[in-house]
Amino acid sequence: MNLFLQQIMNGLTLGSIYGLVALGLTLVYGILHIPNFAHGALYMVGAFMSYFLMVDVGVHYWFAMAGSAAIVAVLAIICERLVFHPLRHSPPIHDKIAAIGILLFLEAVVQMFWGADFRRMSSPFTGILNFDGLIIPEQRLLIIIGALTLVAGLQIFLRKTMTGATIIAMAQNREGAFLVGIDANRVAMMTFGISGALAAIAATLYAPINLVYPAMGHLVIMKAFVIIILGGMGSIPGAIVGGMIIGFAEAFGGFYISTAYKDIIAFGLLVVILSIRPQGLFAKGAH
Amino acid sequence: MLQLKHIDVSYGSFKALNNISMTVNSGELVVLLGANGAGKTSLFNMISGLVRPTAGECEFEGRRLDGLKPSAVVAAGVVQCAEGRKLFPQMSVAQNLMLGAYVHRRDKQGNRRHLQEMYELFPILEEKKDQPAGSLSGGQQQMVAIGRAMMGRPRLLMLDEPSLGLAPLVVRQMFATISQINRLGTTVLLAEQNAFAALKIAHRAYVMENGQLVMEGDRETMLGNEEVRKAYIGA
Ligand SMILES: Nc1ncnc2c1ncn2[C@@H]1O[C@H](COP(=O)(O)OP(=O)(O)OP(=O)(O)O)[C@@H](O)[C@H]1O
Ligand SMILES: [Mg+2]
Repeated sequence: MNLFLQQIMNGLTLGSIYGLVALGLTLVYGILHIPNFAHGALYMVGAFMSYFLMVDVGVHYWFAMAGSAAIVAVLAIICERLVFHPLRHSPPIHDKIAAIGILLFLEAVVQMFWGADFRRMSSPFTGILNFDGLIIPEQRLLIIIGALTLVAGLQIFLRKTMTGATIIAMAQNREGAFLVGIDANRVAMMTFGISGALAAIAATLYAPINLVYPAMGHLVIMKAFVIIILGGMGSIPGAIVGGMIIGFAEAFGGFYISTAYKDIIAFGLLVVILSIRPQGLFAKGAH
Repeated sequence: MLQLKHIDVSYGSFKALNNISMTVNSGELVVLLGANGAGKTSLFNMISGLVRPTAGECEFEGRRLDGLKPSAVVAAGVVQCAEGRKLFPQMSVAQNLMLGAYVHRRDKQGNRRHLQEMYELFPILEEKKDQPAGSLSGGQQQMVAIGRAMMGRPRLLMLDEPSLGLAPLVVRQMFATISQINRLGTTVLLAEQNAFAALKIAHRAYVMENGQLVMEGDRETMLGNEEVRKAYIGA
């Protein structure tokens, strides 16, 4: 029984991280129709920024997280202004090529400063909680609570504030949004900023129980794409539920089948779900 | 109030508008008649800043509009209620209306008052204010679209074929409402194919064919004109 609960805990942890990364990816896709392959690189830069702020500057974990979120948000906005904005009238393939360009560029820059080594980033939450045999490391609990808080905060922002509503409006009817006077540039920058901050926070939450290295974004971004395809491109609930599905599948698959195959499970699930529901679980208007 | 001088609009090599010059005076209700593909929507989208003119000038209250972003055009006081409504379908009616006031978002009190006015103009919308806009009937959606445009506090309201796809009875109410909005002080530019109903509430009208204005006149002249009757009224 405890082993089973343990896997639920692991599934929730993984699902929270995947969900946060996929959320940023699906926002950018749903609103700007850009499949941002560089999102995984933003995640990786987020981890390195936190590492840098904690180890080299010496700030506390929380400040490192906030600083990294701010830096990556600005970096994402710069990508939008410098790369995606000038391409807005080009065929979609240009966005994809440019995104891969950004991905390679960011990885090369990080590698130049920090090398390709694997690094450890510690967090102050190293304790382990023991609930009658159910072992929960504090960091994992922090991941789950952190993800829940962010998702709730994002929902409140999108549903309850005028600024958030402009983002939703742009996703539901682009021209309608222009006609009420919503500025496309503002929404584009805001969307990229939010997606960057979410990626950086996810990376900072996950890094202490994982490793930090320049290629760390690869598998995460692939899974995030699987998740948003599963959940329905552009769908916010789809990203969260999809993240949980993949997280749980990996946790349980890794435990009951084999850890060697856990990364394949996501893609296997993708094939199964898409053959039943080709439009994804929460398909909606976004193309 | 609105003055277009020698406006051209092209889509690639296709010239959709050719040398358009027209005027809308403050307080007027001006109708723009034209068959499918005449260029009515292109003209509105040019004024709204969604497409750029390739030649000519567009002035509103003495200020150049061409070259402005769509958001700046709305802020300048020109709001379009688009063909096909362009609502936010999964958002509630109330949210749609409030987003119409986006450029006035700092004036919360004023917006609440305008929202109340819209509910007085369209009582059914108050009943349905929490429903997703996409779930309403066509006529009700058109009310949301007009209400949303009015929330932008336009001095010039442009309505692009508001009667499209509506039942005759609903169309009649729609035109009565448009006329009322105009009498309450908003200048209206109305694009229509439903010429008879539109002319009945208009002060003046223009006729557009293949991207050019071919006729202009006041209501009586237009209603009495043989060609207009033949082409657009069918009598
Ligand atoms: N984005 C576009 N790209 C290319 N051609 C266009 C575009 N939009 C409109 N056109 C063409 O421009 C011409 C005028 O179209 P427009 O939509 O302005 O006419 P309209 O008078 O509004 O017609 P309707 O009554 O059908 O709405 C048409 O021939 C149309 O095919
Ligand atoms: Mg049209």
